[in-house]
Amino acid sequence: MSTLLLRRWLLAGICSGASISLAQAQADPIRFGKIDERDLTSQNFLADSAAPAVVLCDFGRSRFDYAEGGFRVIFERVTRVKILKKSGYDYATVQVPLYHKANREEKLTGLKGFTYNLVNGQVVKEKLNADAIFREESSPNVSVRKFTLPNVRVGSVVEYAYTVASEFVFNFQDWTFQSDVPVRWSEYRAAIPEYFDYNMLMQGYEPLEVQEKADAVTQYTIRWSSTLTPGVGGGRESGGSEVVTPRVTNYRWAMKDVPALREEPYMTTTADYLSKIDFELAGTKWPNEAYKPVAGSWTKIDEELLNDDNFGGQLNRGGFLKEQLTPLLANTTDPAARVAAIHDLVRRSVRHNGNNGVVAGSSIRRAYDQKSGSAADVNLLLIAALREAGFTANPVVLSTRGHGRLQTNVPLSSRFNYVLAHVALPGGKEMLVDATEELAPCGLLPYHCLNGTARLILPRGQESRWIELAPNDRFLSYRQINLTVDEKGGVSGKVHQEHGGYLALMQREKLRKLGEKKYIEELATNHEGWNIPQYTFKERDALHKPLTLDYEFASAGGEAPAGTIYLNPLRDFGTDKNPFLHENRRFPVDFGAKFDETVMVSLTLPAGYEPEELPKGLVMELPEGGGRFTYGVQQGPLGLQIVSRMSLSRPVYSAEEYAYLREFFARMMAKQSEQLVLKKKV
Amino acid sequence: MAALLSSSSFRVLLLVLAAAAAPRPAGAGPAPRYAVADLPAALRENAHAVVRQQQEALVVKSVGRTVETTRRAVTILDEAGSRWASELVYYSSLNTISYFRGAVYDATGRQLRQLRSQDIRDISLSDGFSLATDARGRVADLSQPTYPYTVEFEYEVVSANPLFYSTWRPQPVEQLSVEQASFRVTMPAGLALRYQERQLPAGAAQAKTTQGTQEVYAWEVRNLPALEEEPDGPAVGERTPSVYTAPSEFEVQGHAGQLRSWEDLSRWTYELNAGRADLPPALVAGMQALVQGETDERARIRKVYKFLQANTRYISVQLGLGGWQTFPASAVAANGYGDCKALTNYCQALLGAAGIRAHAALVRAGSDEQDIRTAFPSSQFNHVVLCVPLTQQAPADTVWLECTSQTNPFGYMGGFTGNRHALLLLPEGGRLIPTPRYGAAENRRERHADVFLDASGNATATLRTLRTGLEYDGVAGLPGLELSEQKKYIGNRLALPNFTLNKVSFQPLAPTAAVPGLTETLALTLPGLAPPSGRRVFLTPNLLSRLPVPAASVGARQSEVRLDYAFTQLDTIQLHLPASLRPEQLPAPVQLTTAFGTYSSQLQALPDGTLRYIRRLEMPRTRFSASEYPAYLEFRRKVSAADKAQLVLLKTDA
Repeated sequence: MSTLLLRRWLLAGICSGASISLAQAQADPIRFGKIDERDLTSQNFLADSAAPAVVLCDFGRSRFDYAEGGFRVIFERVTRVKILKKSGYDYATVQVPLYHKANREEKLTGLKGFTYNLVNGQVVKEKLNADAIFREESSPNVSVRKFTLPNVRVGSVVEYAYTVASEFVFNFQDWTFQSDVPVRWSEYRAAIPEYFDYNMLMQGYEPLEVQEKADAVTQYTIRWSSTLTPGVGGGRESGGSEVVTPRVTNYRWAMKDVPALREEPYMTTTADYLSKIDFELAGTKWPNEAYKPVAGSWTKIDEELLNDDNFGGQLNRGGFLKEQLTPLLANTTDPAARVAAIHDLVRRSVRHNGNNGVVAGSSIRRAYDQKSGSAADVNLLLIAALREAGFTANPVVLSTRGHGRLQTNVPLSSRFNYVLAHVALPGGKEMLVDATEELAPCGLLPYHCLNGTARLILPRGQESRWIELAPNDRFLSYRQINLTVDEKGGVSGKVHQEHGGYLALMQREKLRKLGEKKYIEELATNHEGWNIPQYTFKERDALHKPLTLDYEFASAGGEAPAGTIYLNPLRDFGTDKNPFLHENRRFPVDFGAKFDETVMVSLTLPAGYEPEELPKGLVMELPEGGGRFTYGVQQGPLGLQIVSRMSLSRPVYSAEEYAYLREFFARMMAKQSEQLVLKKKV
Repeated sequence: MAALLSSSSFRVLLLVLAAAAAPRPAGAGPAPRYAVADLPAALRENAHAVVRQQQEALVVKSVGRTVETTRRAVTILDEAGSRWASELVYYSSLNTISYFRGAVYDATGRQLRQLRSQDIRDISLSDGFSLATDARGRVADLSQPTYPYTVEFEYEVVSANPLFYSTWRPQPVEQLSVEQASFRVTMPAGLALRYQERQLPAGAAQAKTTQGTQEVYAWEVRNLPALEEEPDGPAVGERTPSVYTAPSEFEVQGHAGQLRSWEDLSRWTYELNAGRADLPPALVAGMQALVQGETDERARIRKVYKFLQANTRYISVQLGLGGWQTFPASAVAANGYGDCKALTNYCQALLGAAGIRAHAALVRAGSDEQDIRTAFPSSQFNHVVLCVPLTQQAPADTVWLECTSQTNPFGYMGGFTGNRHALLLLPEGGRLIPTPRYGAAENRRERHADVFLDASGNATATLRTLRTGLEYDGVAGLPGLELSEQKKYIGNRLALPNFTLNKVSFQPLAPTAAVPGLTETLALTLPGLAPPSGRRVFLTPNLLSRLPVPAASVGARQSEVRLDYAFTQLDTIQLHLPASLRPEQLPAPVQLTTAFGTYSSQLQALPDGTLRYIRRLEMPRTRFSASEYPAYLEFRRKVSAADKAQLVLLKTDA
């Protein structure tokens, strides 16, 4: 094939194409319009009777055709759903997002649908009406087509099919096998000609039933019309057509009886746990041309970012900050203190507008002037400021927890959605710094960034490398409580509490939102019968220190002195509910950071009383040093000392460790709820 | 489930926003505006934000067209006030935005920047449940990193839907103070303004003036200090000034109407929706056959309602006038779906085919919605239900039907539509009538539990809980959920530290019950429920029904106390003990009888060695003055103490 043809192919001309798939051996798992009558009865669904609906079959196919001067991805889908409950009616309403950019848009064609009902033993089939199809502009580049099927009842089977034609070959249709209802069969086929090279990312916790790959040959007819090129060397070229027959790889994946994915505590984002396959264009290989990487390599992405005016181009544009920086730097020569001062300056100058981002909206200068910007605006400004102050500061790009886990084996810039600063301090010390959180100290990684691996981009692209987003901070809480019990069983206490690390940030944010008075009111409400006459917050603004709160509380006892007093001193200071409700879990528990919780109680007994029974001490550990709980009661000259300490030493626990973790919490809470018995001496 | 006439509900949203809005960006003039130092200290107290200036104007151009302009400047004192730094202006096919401007000023009043068109985002206000809606909005955010600062927004909305006029509510929420706010309505010659004033301070209403042929009404308030919301108290918006306005005549897309009385609104809405009740002949015959031979009036209605629920579902499509006008009944017959208007109209047609007369009735639906202002006829509704008068009953009775739900029990108006006023739609003009109200006798939670404790403090339990009336509302959707979702929901609600749910099942009350109900049966294992401490075991027999004490209030109570929700709780718990444990101390019985509620609890040892705990709490619907609040708190404290009373068991083998 000549390069001339190739150029026509890729660029101009009015062309039309047709593709013939030469090998499609496998029978389709579903035929639109032909249902199994047994699916209209309930016997087939006894095992799923608790589900609102069941996806009977979800079948998608993607292939390429050649039309209007270029290749398009043609995605065809047929889906059939059984509605089991009224709460499953929503599965009869479907949304198809379509991407558009400039004048090009993904096109939805061939939309058809049926509802099947069994009426008096007869199958009644009703068509999807055109007036039940709507369009909504949901965001600047995405419009959503919505439709709903007619006459849906409990027991109905609904079925729909449609085709999406897309010129955006980088946007090859992904496929999700799993849903929030059970799926009987989910199958995806992709026929990819040799011209396109995709990275395929399979993820999830459910096994594949089918995984096949077969090579074949396909055929496209390339047509072009005559063109006239003006000028010297120009002239008329006649129109024509040519048939090409590239090799095509037919992939087939399927899953059978996929359970519904349920949301549980301590997940990053449900999208990380769904069983699905994603496609990313890695490169193209045109006939008689060398392989052309598109995403290529991380090194290439590094370089693209460094050359991007809104990313690399911003990093050395901190000159306008000189005036602000000079006095800060004059205050101290300690590098860490200088970093903290610059972090403080940026944090106070620009408010994070809540948006993530890797590249600046327009420029860091504009964000500074507007006093508002995305995470990219804020943190690229931070890097520029650090550089302006003479530091070796570089960007770290990452994917936040809500955006999903980063897979380092797939080089893709779209997997990044956030940037923060890396600073190399003299003496080999390194720091990660983020200035988006108004109430976080310098060096605390935002919780949403605690997501595994990130990429440090260095000025010489080749030196860029992966780093772990391992938090230095924990969920840290420390309470020291002096309790005095009176002979009616009333309790008064002085509490000194410190929240450090991520808990400090959370509590400072809560305090900012509620104000001191409402914060204390809420504290009192959560502890039945408490009255809090006195309180003092400290270190509200010293963000690198724990937020401390000292308060006094009183809770009334009975009407008269009691011979025996029962006391549950940790009830108000321990964990009140096991976070792990389900007996099992198929995927990891991702806390993000470690936990450390200490409660120390000094108990002063009423005069003339002595402890009759004391709980026994306990030391409990999770396997492989995963965590530890210790509990002890000691009798001293003035009263009792109770110490309860829990630590979880890893941010993430595997699904296999789930049962231990759940039991660990259960036993800890049982121990913390044990009571003391005080008896009047006779 | 919420079947809303979307346009009207967004209208409400707009007015709330507009009510807190004000003045215009300065020209190039360097003179500072809104310096924070100028603020009186009394307005900063307890406030997160201060409305510095707000000028709202409604210009009624004609019966078919209104123009609303809003200028608002708000000083944001701290982070909790920063929601005032952004603005959302609603538009749709009947409402267009003429302009939307803004600016932001630092604490000294120096202008930092003006809002540019690229800072304004255009968003879909799809409500999440509508298949299609034309509701959209423009949003701008002028938040700053340091406080205080002042934002200024200015916008104009031209409306071709003058069924709604503005509501002026300059201080709609707590912890917001107002320096100055004004409202001005300009009416063309020959068109009268109708309005209702609430909580206006002296001098706020200004004399009506004349401008050429136009009449101008004006109100102004100054220096309103910030208020705080109190638990079980009226919303701050009810305690602060407001002016409601409404047309006396209007025209929407060629449909003209008068609005001087409820009858007027009823008649107009009736006519807009009339002539859309035709059903296919086969369906008419089907309905006749369905009720044939059934002589009981209620049973006939029930059969038709059951048909409706089995064959339709709620799909909301709200485009233009479609927010008020129903799809024809024939469309619902063909597709099996519709919105609140379409399904109500369809059900009315089905009943008509069965020879039963029914009327549509407008309501303001929502579990947190207050009743409409009955003394001010205006469009205050967002939903429609069906009212079926029973003709063979003495005394007269009515069946109310919610037509958008496939699961709502027959004749039941729960927290979404009950206990409020509805406007009957009649050709001759209908009136307001009350929807059903449920009291302490209907809103019941009745629980029976058997708890089997073993010697090491672990337990198993079966729990049977019947919830009726409004108590039922909260669990009505549970049986429809997937098992793991049911477990999650129940697990979050159970006030137990550690448990495993082994079995969950549900049984509804018979459909003929006076109020609907659902029995939930749970089997639980409760590890470490009552761990022994040495020789003793401690257990709170009231496992699950602990009534919390209301939040301790700081300072004296300001507003009246409204306990609008009446309910009854009954608990019976049988505790089965292992042979190795015997009670050392039983809590004393408690009996409390007050105007705020009655309570009793007692624990008895039965001859067979089990212990039986019985608790009863009844809270009436009542309102009382702030001065009675301490007595009420005392009652609640006593209930809470009794609820937590502990049983002590002694090991007999130790």
